[in-house]
Amino acid sequence: METNKPGRGFWVTTAILAVISIAGVLYFWLMPSVEPWLPPEGGHPGDQVDWLFRFMSSTAAVLYTFVVGYVIYFAIAYRLRRSDPPDALGVQVHDNAKLEIAWTVVPTLFVILLSILSIKIWYVLQIQPTNGLVVESIGRQWYFTFRYPNVNGEVTDAMHLPVNMPVTLNLTSNDVIHSFWVPDMRLKADMIPGMINTIRFTPTRVGRYQIICTEFCGTGHSTMDKQTMVVQSMPAYLAWYHDWQQRNAHVSNAIPTVSSGAISLAGGDAAAGRTLFSQKCSACHALGPFEQRIVGPGLRGVLHDESHPELVDGDEATPADVAKILQNGYTGSMGHMPNQAENGLSNNDIANLVAFLNTLK
Amino acid sequence: MSVIAEHGGIAEHIHPEPQGFVRKYVFSLDHKIIGIQYIITAFVFFVLAGCLAEIIRIQLMHANGGFVTANTYDEVYSIHGSAMVWLVIIPMLTGGFGNFVMPVQLGARDVAFPWLNMISFWLFPVAGLMLFSSFLMGAPVAGWTEYPPMSLQGGAGTSMWCAAIFLVGVSSTLTGINFLVTILKMRAPGMTFTRMPLFCWGQLATAPLLMIATTALAAALAALFMERQFGVPFYDPTKGGSPVLWQHMFWFYSHPAVYIMILPAFGIMSEVISVFSRKPVFGYRMIAFSSAAIALAGFMVWAHHMFTSGIAPYMQLPFMVLTFAIAVPTGIKIFSWLATMWGGKIHLTTSMLFALGFLVLFTFGGISGVFLAAIPFDLHVHGTYFIPAHLHFVLVGGSLMGIFSGMYYWFPKMTGRYLSEFWGRVHFALFVIGFLGTFLPMHWLGAEGMPRRVASYDPQFQWVNQLESIFSFIMTAAILIFFVNMLYCIRNGKKAGHNPWGARTLEWQIPSPPPYYNFKHIPSVFGLPYDFTEPLPYTHLEDELTDAPVTVGAQ
Repeated sequence: METNKPGRGFWVTTAILAVISIAGVLYFWLMPSVEPWLPPEGGHPGDQVDWLFRFMSSTAAVLYTFVVGYVIYFAIAYRLRRSDPPDALGVQVHDNAKLEIAWTVVPTLFVILLSILSIKIWYVLQIQPTNGLVVESIGRQWYFTFRYPNVNGEVTDAMHLPVNMPVTLNLTSNDVIHSFWVPDMRLKADMIPGMINTIRFTPTRVGRYQIICTEFCGTGHSTMDKQTMVVQSMPAYLAWYHDWQQRNAHVSNAIPTVSSGAISLAGGDAAAGRTLFSQKCSACHALGPFEQRIVGPGLRGVLHDESHPELVDGDEATPADVAKILQNGYTGSMGHMPNQAENGLSNNDIANLVAFLNTLK
Repeated sequence: MSVIAEHGGIAEHIHPEPQGFVRKYVFSLDHKIIGIQYIITAFVFFVLAGCLAEIIRIQLMHANGGFVTANTYDEVYSIHGSAMVWLVIIPMLTGGFGNFVMPVQLGARDVAFPWLNMISFWLFPVAGLMLFSSFLMGAPVAGWTEYPPMSLQGGAGTSMWCAAIFLVGVSSTLTGINFLVTILKMRAPGMTFTRMPLFCWGQLATAPLLMIATTALAAALAALFMERQFGVPFYDPTKGGSPVLWQHMFWFYSHPAVYIMILPAFGIMSEVISVFSRKPVFGYRMIAFSSAAIALAGFMVWAHHMFTSGIAPYMQLPFMVLTFAIAVPTGIKIFSWLATMWGGKIHLTTSMLFALGFLVLFTFGGISGVFLAAIPFDLHVHGTYFIPAHLHFVLVGGSLMGIFSGMYYWFPKMTGRYLSEFWGRVHFALFVIGFLGTFLPMHWLGAEGMPRRVASYDPQFQWVNQLESIFSFIMTAAILIFFVNMLYCIRNGKKAGHNPWGARTLEWQIPSPPPYYNFKHIPSVFGLPYDFTEPLPYTHLEDELTDAPVTVGAQ
């Protein structure tokens, strides 16, 4: 039987593992930017998250180096050798009170330290300024809309924010649960119907950042990453803001409902319809041939496709029937198309869209 | 007389063995047959759910998807997750290994309620068929978590999913009751709690989780079913329901469920590492105690899945701190296993290799779990590919590696034959390489901005996903080798004898496969099963390996 004191090989291995883990700590703690592991940083308090990531990664590097190092070293050093009798036994140690107390107390102390640091950063998230710009975002299947103070209706092109101005972002949903994530800001909250969740932060870097839905919300979930958060200088933001204020001046703030009766298609503006299409339809419909499905069928030549003289509802392809589907929605073998209360289109919007779709040949 | 006095009660009574194929192998009351039935059924579902996993990986080979439609893809990963959790890992570790091994390790002839055991088993394949049949009517799409209101929009199969999971939950609950009573009441004389093998400690910690947590899931599922089928508003906010209610109920079950999936695997580790290091397991009491601590604390951390769901901010803190705290008992186990290996005479059998793989991979999953528990970091990676990375490290790198280790370890006990060690090593090497290549890069994908549950994604991530898919094919090849190895060795493997590994727990002191009645005479226990230098701590076992007649009826 061998001695029950660790031998020289054990201490040499421990020294090597210590060197590797110190290198790991130095790497995660001193790396000039977290960019190899996380997207570039775009605001506050997301920078705090990076600090916590550095701390956790460097301590994890120590723990993991030792666990893996010892597993490999023990498996090699203490393997049953050819020279050993097949029934050789290991050192019969049952326990060691000092060692067991050590590996209970040290991790407990570490847990306390990590809790204190995490709570500290959690607290920073809670005390972000509340006096800045207030924006609402509403999750819909499958895009985000944004509401700004004193702008009628909903902004759909992108979420514009001035740089270095604290933002209070109120999130909710119109249908199922979505989740609002901007990776560069390190911030996320679920958009839950019937509830308002709030994120407070300050973007500090001008740029365009992807907004991604991270809660499964239906067939179009995969495509709910097309919109951006545009962080710009205050003058550029104000110019955009006043432009939208004027553009949306005529829009009603009433909650959308399904209108009754046929919709008048007179005066439909195809150019306005094209903009609407890219904002509200393109998540599910391509401008390709019928067979090119994203969620719904491709719409190139929807009114002029000789191989598909009827629309999905079985009626003849006429502008009035397209308007009817946009108004009342459709549920059937081709899937589900939202109705007017769900898609939030006004009668005027529908007329514009039909005019646009009629131009596709 | 003294023997009868000491062993008095029903345990000594041997029932006559049932005759006929149906009574013996189909509607069997024998815990060993039921255990093997569980293992075979779970492996069948494992193959089906594994095929679904490969559909997922093929779809993700291209940023635009295109292998299946987005809707089919959603169905595929939802059923993949549900099946792997409820039809593979939980039944395999509790109903499978728990049934086959635990009563013998305790020195019992069967579980406490053999009829209940049979019912538990037969509910399970029925529930599994129901779950897969949901594909025929439009399977659920909202993932294995099925958050409403999305699950209210899902296809008709979502209601079938509710019913199937409810049924498999009933099966789990009954197994939990059965195992708890078995461990509390059926131990052989002298088998005190401090002499019980650690695999039984794992099952003892798991049984109350199965019993208590699963009821919360049953209630949540019943409510979802009622809302979908009869419009009773529980979760739909437009009718006064609360979507977050489901999340609380679901995670009140599903967080303890991750301990249901890992505590028995911890038990397997303790047995395997001790036997193949030829050393007593280091810190027996601390390992046993930490299982109980993990089970208890596991009930108080569920809301760490909901840091983005808008629960009151100060409510998040206790969940975060308690989740960190679970790292302490888990760490104790890892360190104790390492100390068990130190100074041993390690037999690097396939079973031991998988145990070493478990230590390396599960520890990584445990550490990423601590990252996720920290609220500020969780807010960044919640709902991204970091989550599938973490959960596959603990459930594949942990539970499944434990299952493989247990299969190589107990296969000789189940069949009397070895699995091929050579092909076992090939299986191990390919599996670990494939696993790391598939799941390690997912951490990076998630942190960099790829959300989970997407059928198409940002093209900048395409090369990583292609790499992962290629490695996943290696993992699949490894699993195929494992199945061929098993099917071949059931009849043609090398004969193993009753105790091929030189193990000291009770199941290895009786013939392989064990006879219907397990023990001719119920043994008495006077020590821990891990002291390799001592004589075996059992009496009354002299006749087990001889031709001594079996006395049927009361002795």
